[in-house]
Amino acid sequence: MKIVARWIRQPGFLTALPVGIFLLIGFAGPLVLVLLYSFMPPKTFTLGQVPTIENYISVVTQSYYISFGWSLALAVVTVFLLILITYPVAYGMAKIFGKWATLITILIALPLLISENIRLFGWVLLLLKNGIIDGSLQYLFGLSLSGMLYTVPAIVLGMVYVYLPFMLFPLVIGISMVPESLKEAARDLGASRFQIFREVELPLSMPGILIGSLLVFILTLGSLAESKILGGQAIVMIADDIESAFTFAQNWPKGSVLSVILITISLIIIYFLFRKIDLDRVVGRR
Amino acid sequence: MAIQTSRRNFLKSTSAFAAAYAFGTMPSLARAAREKELNIYCWEGYNSDDVLDPFRREFDATVRAEGLTSDPDAVNKLRAGETKVWDLINVNNPWARELMWPEGLILDLPRERFEPFFEKMMPAFHPPYPWAMDKTGEHLLGVTQRFGPFNFVVNTNKISRAMAEDQGFKLFFDPAMKDRYGVLTYDNWNIYHMCVAADVHPFKQHTPEEIAAFSDAAKQVFNGAKILTDDLVAMNLALINGEIDAYFTGGTYTASPARYDGHNNVRGITPNSGPMDGKGGIVWIELTSVVNNPQVSPLAEEFLAYIQRPDVSKNVAFAEGTYNPVTQMGDEAVLGAFDSEELDAIQWDSLEEEMARSQDYDINPDYAEMYDHYSAAKRERES
Repeated sequence: MKIVARWIRQPGFLTALPVGIFLLIGFAGPLVLVLLYSFMPPKTFTLGQVPTIENYISVVTQSYYISFGWSLALAVVTVFLLILITYPVAYGMAKIFGKWATLITILIALPLLISENIRLFGWVLLLLKNGIIDGSLQYLFGLSLSGMLYTVPAIVLGMVYVYLPFMLFPLVIGISMVPESLKEAARDLGASRFQIFREVELPLSMPGILIGSLLVFILTLGSLAESKILGGQAIVMIADDIESAFTFAQNWPKGSVLSVILITISLIIIYFLFRKIDLDRVVGRR
Repeated sequence: MAIQTSRRNFLKSTSAFAAAYAFGTMPSLARAAREKELNIYCWEGYNSDDVLDPFRREFDATVRAEGLTSDPDAVNKLRAGETKVWDLINVNNPWARELMWPEGLILDLPRERFEPFFEKMMPAFHPPYPWAMDKTGEHLLGVTQRFGPFNFVVNTNKISRAMAEDQGFKLFFDPAMKDRYGVLTYDNWNIYHMCVAADVHPFKQHTPEEIAAFSDAAKQVFNGAKILTDDLVAMNLALINGEIDAYFTGGTYTASPARYDGHNNVRGITPNSGPMDGKGGIVWIELTSVVNNPQVSPLAEEFLAYIQRPDVSKNVAFAEGTYNPVTQMGDEAVLGAFDSEELDAIQWDSLEEEMARSQDYDINPDYAEMYDHYSAAKRERES
């Protein structure tokens, strides 16, 4: 009891209390509500009903695996593409560009000040049949690329574009954490450029890659706007199913079940990712 | 130490004062403030400054209006406690009588004040107008204004109006139409229209065979579609650009912005016949109701009377976004305010015959079951 009392009196605990309470109400609270709703009978709007697993059975027996599959697949593809695209840029920003890096940071961060939907509609105008790209190609070369919009690649393009800063900036930090002295030591010991990259730079910048990948993965898994605006719902993402369940279907419990499953999948993936990669080692504490 | 004690005392007394102020005086202040405050939750149009600014000036009021994007979503918000926020809610006809009134989410209106407005409306809306009344026929639940046939839209340069009206929703089953149309994913409307396409009356109890027929229709419509989007502007753009030649689910509400922009070949179609007692089209009618807000603004009823005025009715019909006929066009003073281009945008030439071929939007008793089939067909779409 005394230990608890002493622990409570700690300044650390006391100063963390306001934000702790805020997180409890604002973050954990809604999640608990969603979890509770998932056990309520279908199409009920209060929590005072007899709990049931009917919604879970209905979700598992229906074809929701397709939406989960698409969301997971697109999240993985986006993460890999972004690693490939942003690693060289991040490397340049951390090690090569010098004072120009600030300008590039500003240029990349600037679009974040504009609503995602507006930026995606910009892409619609570019990709549209007779739009900026198709129209220009027709006018200049007599070529037509009318099938660009409303396809899965258009959705991936939207995701890569929207979530690029979320991968880039953690990567810049990750790469700038790699000490030059280690690279020099590797070079002195006769390592080739590729060996230095694979055995020194890549492992040491792993925290950045991991954090960026996680951010992008979680964001794309729950994304909706790209598939709606650029994809013309060529495929149905799980976030779309969740939104529909809460609105058009008027079935909060089913929407809650889908949300709970999505959160659980994310948690499992994060858990295994961190377990496999051993954060302590990559951040150099062990 | 002395300083610390006095600081603590000071904090104690200030926080006690703040608490007393917050819990004691605030409600009465809020009540007083609501005399000049009005919050409207509505489909786009009522939130335009053309409609609101004259009201703000005349009543010296602070009016906040937020656009809603789906009826069920709006009703959800009231259910989730936003009855404390809003004074007026504007949704389509069945929600007031079938859901919001039975659930205690809206208040009734004084009939002696508002029924005279209905008398001036187009004949179909004269009092007692069933959708504006509760099931007992005693309580007036709101006022009507915008309405419109809502079925599907074609590019008449590619598909003639006569052919589209004759074929009705069967048009979308034609193998030649594969990848030549879009589905505007207003899910609830899609479900009604897919029923009609399957020769099933959407607003009645359904047999398992009818639900199976609906499910087949849903699969066919989705599998043949080129684009799915819930954005009417994107859909009109695709139609104008020739990406598609028609879209499933649409009407005056969605076609009018393109028509007013000069694209008269974009036209809402009401089928000539169908399974709803011979009718093949559906018409929506908006109803604006007073929310059961514990501190409802006295301006709520004033606003409902204000929007009946001829100039305001015209502004509501032609507010930004979409353009729609209004029930007040039964009054010559309102009709006279529209020029020929505006009347053409809202397809005034065929409105009467389209209305005659349309069934009023209603609640589908098997919506939940059909929704499962609908969402499965959408997910399993062969793209």
